[in-house]
Amino acid sequence: MAEKFDNLEEHLEKFIENIRQLGIIVSDFQPSSQTGLNQKLNLMITGLQDIEKCRQQLNDIHVPLEAFEYIDQGRNPQLYTKECLERALAKNEQVKGKIDTMTKFKSLLISELGKVFPEEMAKYKAIHGDDPPS
Amino acid sequence: MTEIFSSLYGQTEAQGPSAMGFGPGKPLPPPVPQNPVHMAVPIPHQLVDEGPPLRKPAAMNEPFYLVRELPMETELTGNTNLITHYNLEHAYNKFCGKKVKEKLSNFLPELPGMIDTQGLQDGSSLRSLIEKPPVCNNSFSPLTGTMLTGFRLHTGPLPEQYRLMHIQPPKKKSKHKHRHHRPQDPLPPETPSDSDHKKKKKKKDDDPDRKKKKKDKKKKKNRHSPDHPGTTSSQPSSSSLR
Repeated sequence: MAEKFDNLEEHLEKFIENIRQLGIIVSDFQPSSQTGLNQKLNLMITGLQDIEKCRQQLNDIHVPLEAFEYIDQGRNPQLYTKECLERALAKNEQVKGKIDTMTKFKSLLISELGKVFPEEMAKYKAIHGDDPPS
Repeated sequence: MTEIFSSLYGQTEAQGPSAMGFGPGKPLPPPVPQNPVHMAVPIPHQLVDEGPPLRKPAAMNEPFYLVRELPMETELTGNTNLITHYNLEHAYNKFCGKKVKEKLSNFLPELPGMIDTQGLQDGSSLRSLIEKPPVCNNSFSPLTGTMLTGFRLHTGPLPEQYRLMHIQPPKKKSKHKHRHHRPQDPLPPETPSDSDHKKKKKKKDDDPDRKKKKKDKKKKKNRHSPDHPGTTSSQPSSSSLR
């Protein structure tokens, strides 16, 4: 799994470095630089071909669109992961709180109903069995 | 709690569903208000008119009806810590344990150029790439000699506005500064005691050297001017100034 990403990362780094060098050549162009520029342009195409080849290995990888929004805003996409984890934990705690409250309510209701309607509750317990202690 | 108890609505055992002639699938008649105290809450029609599969056939002859099966206890719910369940503690501690730096350049420090700016400003956003993919061929073919003639450039430097490749975010400088500023930063309450301790140690370490120097000076002066002992008393003050 990690090899796929390493391969892509390596190709992307090479491509970016080539683009950077292209930018340097172009920023102060000299007539003697034309051969180097032509080589860099073809190297760029080779780099794109290499990245294109990596696509086949990464078809099963899904990236959430929200992560792209972070990148578009110039923000660290790890913040998206962080916020997802925090949201998941908060929701998890919220649901657990609800479940705990409802469990307590259930046991309290059964005990109170047992006091008022003992016969009916005995039959109910015969059907459902005794509830586990909350 | 989805169970509905008929007894809650004032129905005694004799007035249960079996006694009243309720059969499976038959619609329930409206509750008879025999005991107004117990019948204060009528049975809502939505709760009564459940589909046949939800009814428990065994419970039809019992005093309660519409008793459903309890939910499966093995089902994964929010009752369990899902981060632990999916082995995400490491990721949680990594991202939520410490402060994650805000800027994109902190995530991709090796990337050249200004990458912390908004992508929409210069049209380099990933969203625009998804929404409007570039129209191009499916394959990349190398440029031939004739094609490369289109890339013959004029000599000389580029205008200022196109020299974005050389501009780097000032991350290295800030890091460098930060390192230098660390000792000058206000220290937590524990550290001053440490620094004091170090100072004391330094003083202690320096003391023998100073004493030695003083002794040497005294010896030299005593050798050179044995007739003027009073000058030696003034020397420590000068040495202390140094």
